[in-house]
Amino acid sequence: MLVNHPSTTGGPSAEEGAGTGQNGAPLPTVRTGPRRVATALTGLREPIVVILFIIAFLTWISGKPLDGVLMLVVAVSLTWDAARRSRRGNPGEGPPAAGPAAGEAASATGTISDEAASSTGTISEAASATGPGVQQAGRAAEQDAPTAGARHQRWRPALAWLAGAALYVLVVGSFIRYSWPATVAIIGLGAAVVVTGWRGARRSRPATGRLPATGLALWGAVLVAGGLWELAALLQQPNLATGSYAHPTISTLTDPVLSTWAGRSIVLAGWLGLGWFLVER
Amino acid sequence: MNSHDVTVLGYLAVLLAGVILQLLATRTRAPIPPLGKVLAWAMNTRTRRIGMLVAWAWVGLHFFAR
Repeated sequence: MLVNHPSTTGGPSAEEGAGTGQNGAPLPTVRTGPRRVATALTGLREPIVVILFIIAFLTWISGKPLDGVLMLVVAVSLTWDAARRSRRGNPGEGPPAAGPAAGEAASATGTISDEAASSTGTISEAASATGPGVQQAGRAAEQDAPTAGARHQRWRPALAWLAGAALYVLVVGSFIRYSWPATVAIIGLGAAVVVTGWRGARRSRPATGRLPATGLALWGAVLVAGGLWELAALLQQPNLATGSYAHPTISTLTDPVLSTWAGRSIVLAGWLGLGWFLVER
Repeated sequence: MNSHDVTVLGYLAVLLAGVILQLLATRTRAPIPPLGKVLAWAMNTRTRRIGMLVAWAWVGLHFFAR
């Protein structure tokens, strides 16, 4: 499910042994045991990978083995990916490339331009066959037509996505929590988004640059404080799988909201919106 | 005030701190980036990007999936 796409990985793996580089130069062989272990440990140096392994373990022992397995799959895939890039000195850790989205955007722009050109051509011909007043109107239409067409082209996919999201929210919101239909719908969308993210950003954006360390530390402090508070509540439950009224976790507090169709749909809409926001970064 | 209320107040305090930081970031010249910029920065590399997306997916799994 979360295996790297061949086009993004490229080249032989360590297990495949030595191949040839772009200029026919042999690539180094990494079949030896200690070297392979060292490569794997390189991947484990990524803090996020370690955090994912911890999440996988905690999710597993708290009674959600499926979530744990999925987290484990991603953690192992990231370890392998990070180790491979480290071994090859690959600059893939830089800002994600625009990837195929850039090509799609370019082709979409081309389509818009072609359509606009053909429509303005028709307007010009019609205007030349009539009087100067109409020609002026034709010129005005020439200026307006591409803008309107481009706007229409831009909004159509956005509306389609919005309609799809609304349908998803209403349908999945109607499923009972922790049922198989809800599980399949959530895992399907989550996996699709993660795979999309693995291929890179959907569109190129200006680099974020360095952010003030103080500000980052403050945001980090808020995140850590929230996590620790949740952890404290979790550890004061009777056990990891049983909620406590005296020390409620966020899950326990949201249970009443998520017990209704409307509540589930609203929360799902927020979850989808956040996912869309992240995918667009 | 019982322990339930204290726990809920703790969550609200964390939420309030986040709102204050966001307001300081957007309404003042304090050296605090808005949350959107922090998230964009956090997704600058592939590993962090995947980590963020997996965290998002995990939230959905945690609340809805078995």
